[in-house]
Amino acid sequence: MTDQELFTQVGIREEKASAAAVKSKRSLPIFSIAVLVLIILGCLLADVIATKDPAYLDLMNYTKAPNGEFLFGTDTLGRDIFSCIWHGGRVSLFIGFFATLISTTIAVVYGSISGISSDWVDTAMMRVTEIFLSVPGLLVILFIQAILGDATVVSLSVVIGITSWYSIAKVIRTEVRQIRKSEYVIASQCMGGSFLHVLWHHLAPNFISAIMFMVVMNVRSAIASESTLSFMGMGLPLDVISWGSMLSLSERALMTKAWWIILIPGFFLVVLLVCLTNIGNWLRQTANRKESNL
Amino acid sequence: MDNAIVTVKNLTHRFRLSKKTVIKAVDDISFTIQKGEIFGLVGESGSGKSTVARCIMNIYQPTAGEILFHDVNTCDKTAFRQNRKLLQTARQLIFQDSASSLNQRMKVADIIAEPMKINHITPPRGSYREEAAFQLRYVGMDENYLDKYPSEMSGGQRQRVAIARALSMEPELLVADEPIASLDVSIQAQIVNLFKHLQKEHGFSILFIAHDLAMVEYLCDRIGVMYRGKLVELAETAELFAHPLHPYTQMLLSAIPYPDPIRERNRPRMNTEDMIFDTEGTFREIRPNHFVLTKEAAL
Ligand SMILES: Nc1ncnc2c1ncn2[C@@H]1O[C@H](COP(=O)(O)OP(=O)(O)OP(=O)(O)O)[C@@H](O)[C@H]1O
Ligand SMILES: [Mg+2]
Repeated sequence: MTDQELFTQVGIREEKASAAAVKSKRSLPIFSIAVLVLIILGCLLADVIATKDPAYLDLMNYTKAPNGEFLFGTDTLGRDIFSCIWHGGRVSLFIGFFATLISTTIAVVYGSISGISSDWVDTAMMRVTEIFLSVPGLLVILFIQAILGDATVVSLSVVIGITSWYSIAKVIRTEVRQIRKSEYVIASQCMGGSFLHVLWHHLAPNFISAIMFMVVMNVRSAIASESTLSFMGMGLPLDVISWGSMLSLSERALMTKAWWIILIPGFFLVVLLVCLTNIGNWLRQTANRKESNL
Repeated sequence: MDNAIVTVKNLTHRFRLSKKTVIKAVDDISFTIQKGEIFGLVGESGSGKSTVARCIMNIYQPTAGEILFHDVNTCDKTAFRQNRKLLQTARQLIFQDSASSLNQRMKVADIIAEPMKINHITPPRGSYREEAAFQLRYVGMDENYLDKYPSEMSGGQRQRVAIARALSMEPELLVADEPIASLDVSIQAQIVNLFKHLQKEHGFSILFIAHDLAMVEYLCDRIGVMYRGKLVELAETAELFAHPLHPYTQMLLSAIPYPDPIRERNRPRMNTEDMIFDTEGTFREIRPNHFVLTKEAAL
């Protein structure tokens, strides 16, 4: 071995491969975002895209396979699935976002109060969330739903919302507890900053990146919960069209070998959930990276 | 003594670390700060200076004793609540650690304007941004820094932003907890001169906490010396430097470097590390306006 060969081995090792891997992990999930935007746009423009009335029961054309007139076919009640997808998507997405709005609001308020309170109040509040967390969410939803009676879109969102805030609240509480003794929070309180001022200007900017991915995941779970419930016949009734209630027809559809009735809403649902998961994971990675940059 | 802006009476503060260990950070100290006066508080690390500052600012609730701001007993919860607005605007604290007293996610302009926004003060110079720029110039920085984040600045610049934030409220009392410790000498001089100017021109009262006795000698009207939670000596600056009576003060003064090499070399040195001083005794006026913690009636 010559000297030169020896020396070339020494030095900073090239890390091209790992850098590329990191980059692919970090890069924006453009495809997922694009698909999500398409689905949302489609639902918003449902009246333009889907000219058929989704609620109209076309008894002459029930359980028709996809064809020129009915792009995605019709279901066992004779409803046009193409229209149902876009109109029903509105309901599914609305439930997803509205339930998340409710749960995030509760989580921010509860988590911040718990984080900023004295030790024993904090402990008590965290025990309460642990008790809630230990009960399966679906069970609680079913229970409340049974009390409330017939489900509507709003009541279902509220029920899903008030049963899915615990983990976000816990994360917020931990973050708040870390920063509440920091001097800039004390300084702000010293200058007369109220709880809301401190929460908004000092605490929220710090925990928002930490909970962003949980919020997106919450949208995903809310949509999944709605579908599960409706699929089991305990969520939205058949006449309120959502992707979940469309799936609840699957039992009858399977008997007639009408695959489109179950596969098409199922496909849209899965694609939506996968997109949200990808975006959520990307948000989590960015949040982690920011933390390690500090 | 009715011109006092702050009166500290028998202030004691203990930190309870566990059921058994209790730290007496501040132990039965009393002093006053006069209107328009710069009062210096010196002492070694851990002697309780920051704790005194935080008690005065209502960050800590004292274990015993009382603190009056003008006539308001700030340790009393109802009195505090009734005068909250006054107390929160007329007193401002500059924290010891500028890096952690500024929110890393806020821009300088927002940091400086925060107290004005909280207290709904209409900025005298038009907008909050103008006001922030003015305060920034006042502490010797230019407007380019308005849109920077604290992490993009040096320690000295951050400290000056913290000072600008406190000054924006034009407080009657400024509590400065080692505001110049992290600055280089030229900036130190600049800030010290700024404090002098604030006192002379605007009649600020300042509680100035420091390690550096040379700066304290130049800046302060009266000085209190703290040692292990006790106030061991209190006198006017010239008097204290001329006649240090407590052994701990004598040791502190002996440690000041003089810019004269011959005097510096011939001076007796004391080993500062293993010295332990008495903290027993009562606080007595040994000379006019010169108080010392001592057991004997006369030194
Ligand atoms: N939050 C706290 N919890 C427990 N003990 C504390 C706390 N803050 C201060 N102490 C203790 O109280 C004593 C006085 O602390 P303090 O911060 O007032 O000292 P200091 O004079 O400001 O020191 P320095 O010059 O280093 O800033 C120290 O022994 C310290 O360990
Ligand atoms: Mg200190």
